[in-house]
Order: sequence, then C-alpha cells, then structure tokens
Amino acid sequence: MFMTRSEYDRGVNTFSPEGRIFQVEYANEAIKLGATAIGIQTNEGVIIAVEKRVTSPLMEPESVPKIFEIDAHLACAMSGLNADARTLIERARVEAQNYWFTYNEPMSVESVTQSVCNLAMQFGEGSDRESGSMSRPFGVALLFAGIDKEGSSIKPQLFHADPSGTFVSYLAKAIGSGSEGAQTALQDAYDKAMSLADAEKLALQTLKQVMEEQITAKNIEVATVKVNEETNMPQFKKYTHEEREEALTRNGVTTAQAATASE
Amino acid sequence: MSIMEYNGSAVVAMTGKECVAIAADRRLGAQAQTVSTDFQKVFQMGPKLFVGLPGLGTDAITVSQRLKFRLNMYTLREERDIEPKTMINLVSSFLYERRFGPYFVEPVVAGLDSKNQPYVASTDLIGCPMETSDFVVGGTSSEQLYGMCESLYKPDMAPDDLFETISQALMNAVDRDCLAGWGAIVHIIEKDKITTRELKARMD
Amino acid sequence: MSSTDKTVLASAGFHGDVLTLVKRIGVRMQNYEYQHRKPMSTPACAQMLATMLYGKRFFPYYTYNILAGLDADGKGCVFSYDPVGSYEREHYRAAGTASALLQPFLDNQARALARIPDYIGRKNQQGVVFEPISKERAMTIIKDVFTSAAERDIYTGDAVDIRIVTKDGLEEHRFPLRCD
Repeated sequence: MFMTRSEYDRGVNTFSPEGRIFQVEYANEAIKLGATAIGIQTNEGVIIAVEKRVTSPLMEPESVPKIFEIDAHLACAMSGLNADARTLIERARVEAQNYWFTYNEPMSVESVTQSVCNLAMQFGEGSDRESGSMSRPFGVALLFAGIDKEGSSIKPQLFHADPSGTFVSYLAKAIGSGSEGAQTALQDAYDKAMSLADAEKLALQTLKQVMEEQITAKNIEVATVKVNEETNMPQFKKYTHEEREEALTRNGVTTAQAATASE
Repeated sequence: MSIMEYNGSAVVAMTGKECVAIAADRRLGAQAQTVSTDFQKVFQMGPKLFVGLPGLGTDAITVSQRLKFRLNMYTLREERDIEPKTMINLVSSFLYERRFGPYFVEPVVAGLDSKNQPYVASTDLIGCPMETSDFVVGGTSSEQLYGMCESLYKPDMAPDDLFETISQALMNAVDRDCLAGWGAIVHIIEKDKITTRELKARMD
Repeated sequence: MSSTDKTVLASAGFHGDVLTLVKRIGVRMQNYEYQHRKPMSTPACAQMLATMLYGKRFFPYYTYNILAGLDADGKGCVFSYDPVGSYEREHYRAAGTASALLQPFLDNQARALARIPDYIGRKNQQGVVFEPISKERAMTIIKDVFTSAAERDIYTGDAVDIRIVTKDGLEEHRFPLRCD
C-alpha cells in the first residue's frame, strides 16, 4: 500500500483513481498498531477483554481506560487512538441517554453503533467543533457489546465499528495489533452454545496468546454485559483488579503465584 | 377561586317509586384544608320534605334558618304542611330577593307531596327553579354527579334500590372531587317513614 | 383518533392541534421504524408523546390525550396525559370535556374488571366477586358512559368511535349517540 502513496493520500475528500480513500485506510492501519481487544457473544451475555500497554512501571494503568460503559446494558471496547475514542464514546452515551429520555427504554445496541458510525463518517471539510466531527477519520475501532431486551427474551449483541463508519455484527471479534492471530483463535474455538464462563476463558487465553507482554491483572481490562438476576435487567460490569486476578487464575491463564509476582 | 367552591359540597336528590331520596357529603373545608367532617347540608323542612344546601357553608346555615322561619310563618298561616312544589317557589322567591347580593347556595328540594308523589327540584343561587322527574344535583361535584346519575338512574326504583343507587352516585362522585366527601348522609323518604343512613365512605 | 395495529391514540381538544400532533407522531413513528428497524412499542410511543407535549411546554398543544395499546409482554396498557406531557400508566381513563362525568362511573364499574391487583371488588361496593373483563363487557361500559356523557355534556354527541387492540390486530366500531 505504501508503494502507491500519491497526491491522493493527503485529502479525505478525493478518491484515488483506484477508488480508494487513503486516509480511511491509514486510519485502519493506525488501529492495527493499537492494543488488542476481543469481544465474544454468548446466549447468556457478552464479554469483552482488552490488552492495555503499560509503557512504564511508573504509569498508573487505571488512568488509561480501554472499556467504557455506554449505558447499563451496553459496553464498548476500543483499539486505536484513545483520544479519538473518547469523542465517539461521548456521542454513544449522549445518543443512548437521548433515546432513553424520549422512549423510556434502553437503546438497541445496533442503533447506538449506527449513531456512532454516523459521526465517524462525518470527517472532512465542513466539520466543526459543534458537530463533534473532525477533519480526518477517527483513528479508532470500537466493539459494542450489549444486550437488547424484547419483552422477556434477551438478545446479546456484538458490533464492530471501524473508522470508515462501517459496522458489522459478530459472534466473536478481535481488533488491534493482535487481531489477526486472535481472530483465527476465536474462529477455531468459538461455539454458539458456549457459556459466558467459557467465553471468559477463551477471551483471556486468546489475549494471552497475542499479547507481547506477559498477561497480568494490571495490563488487561475485562467487562461483561449480562442479565442481573435480581433486577432481571441487563447490566454492565467491569472487572476489578481482584476479579481480573481471579479470572486469570480461574481460567489457568496465569498461576496465582505469577499473578502475585507481577505486582 | 369561586366562592361557591370555598367550602366544597355535594348534594343529590333522586325520585323512585312512591319514594324519594336526598343525599349529601359531610365535609366543610377552607379550600383544600378540611375543617369539619360532620357538617350538615341537608335540612328537614317537613314530615316528608328535605332541603339540601350545597355551596358556601355559612350561607347554608343562614339560609336554612331563614327558610325555616318563612316555612313556620307559612305553616302557621295556612295550618297545613307545605307542598314540595310550594317549597321550591318559596326558596326561589327568597333567593331572588337577594338578586344582586346573593346567598351562595344552590338549594336542592326533595319530598313527597300530599298525594305521596315524589318530587325533586333545585334552583341556582339567585333562585332560578328547575324541576325534573328523575334527579337533581348541586355542589362542587355536580359534574361527577351528573355523570353517575345519568348512567345509574332508572325510573320507578323501590326504596332499597333507590338507596343503593343514590349512595353509589354520591360516593363515586365525591371520590373524584377533592373538595367534597369525608362521609355522606342519605335520607330515603317514603309515605310512612323516613330512613336516614350515614355512609361509610373514604375519609381522604 | 389515530392508530397503528398496536397503538391507538385518542386526542380531544383543539382539533387543529390534534391533527398536527397526530401527523407529527406519525412521522416520528415512521422514522423510528426506519432508524431502528422495529415498530415503536406502545410504552415507547407513550414516552415520546410526553416529550413532544413537554417540548411545547410554553405554547402547548391544546389536546387531552389517551394512548392505548399492548406492551412488550402483550398486556393491555392505557397512558393518560395532561396537555403539557405529565403522563401515567393506568387501567382506565376518561378525558375531554365530559371527563368529570365519566371518570367516577369508570371507578365504579371498571375498576375490578380492569384487574387492579390490590383491589377486590368494584369501588365502593362490597362482596363483588373479582372477574376478568370481557371485551363485550368493556364495550357495554363504554357505550353506556358515552350515552350518559352525550346526555349532559353539550360538546359530546353524534357518534363515538371505538377501537379495540388485541394481539390479533385492530377492530373498529362506530356507535351512534344522540344527535343534538
């Protein structure tokens, strides 16, 4: 691709003669440099796990969130430029709340994804601060994981949105630097009937496989969206540090000893 | 707020077969604040004649006393009980005397005449009479009472049936009026007896 | 009155505002279906109507609305409104110029029939056995209350339109009232 660099890779408002918009493709490249994020859908709910690159021992990993709560029923994992993600997350949250305000029910995962993608494709001239869009494509890919509720039945959902504003529904999806290897691993191991616990294991093991650093409770983030037994409503839950440690040992991804040693 | 709605009230009268009923709520309030729950709004004006006085409480008392005064004068002069028809005319002319400074009451008259035929009628606060064959209503709950009576009333009810009907009409009407209610009283007038019952109603 | 097969709106008041409101709701419902790829549920429509009415808080639609339909569980639902969007889910409601006439009668006759959980028997009546309402009984009550309203309320009369929402779809009826 870099061989074909030309005048056309400067602007976002001009197609190349081959029919490409380079800036969008470069944005996709930017994501491939980002930390790996994995999402897996099951009948019980959805799990997302994200690698976090801790570049210095003095860095506080909690200050770089990779998973965001959009609404109680909806989580979002990111890979790519953190700052760009915040803009999109903000839009998703506003849209979800607006929908709830107007219709008194949670917004469907697909509709939230759609509204974020509407913003993602508004790059180019004529974009201003007010509309929230930018002069270039967003350098971030997102995984929207959540649950739609229709009457008493629940429908877990997982969507992948990329910088072009395209979004696709997946049963399991990996994004970021390790996405190719991870996606293959997911494809091999995914089973439609798997439980959320199985999915947790698969997500962590896959993440371990593709991460450059040794996986610890400090350099990953994990969250689930599943039905809360008490309220019978979908609920977002981000794992605490202790829960991550537990999950890693539970699934045999690290030994308890290794987890403590990494402290 | 209208002075007619200052204290809150509901009065209804209904005809049956050789019987007639009159019922009223028992609340006296100062706008939304309830002051009393045993306020009298229905007054006996003869052996088979009652007058209900929904409207401003103080005027109800005054009017009841001044009507009684005139009624006594009538009875002494005529040496017989007043006919309900005559009573409504007495009420009407009495109120019209105060045409430009009226008593704020809408009287409801219910009774059996000398032939034991049921009679109900009402006037507005300046004495415009209205005679009907079925029912009359008055007070802050009058719209609700019209709705209830119009749906529940049927002609020629026996005393028991009439009691149930007028009670249901009154209670369900005042339950949708925050100014009226807090207990109710019903009088059933038959040719040989008068039955008075206090209803167990919502007290809120 | 305006409706889809699941949601019916009865709107009384200034007819100009009624027409405008109904049209705007129609547009919103259609766009909703395009955007979210599903028909708008009755409770969602109820909340939307509330925000639409409140959106004109300082120059309101002069309308009194009742929205009815089936909820996500397939249960019947009635939502009643004031002109500026206060709303409540209820079992029965009368609105419009004759509302004060009709509401107490509904309290008396429809309460037990509407399956109100904490209340056995009709209002102000004792020893009445709880029984689920039949469609025929509901129709009888509705016809009765409108006949009564037409008797005393000068603004009510000529005819009443009745729509019944069931899981199988929508039924429409017209019942004549006194014509004066």
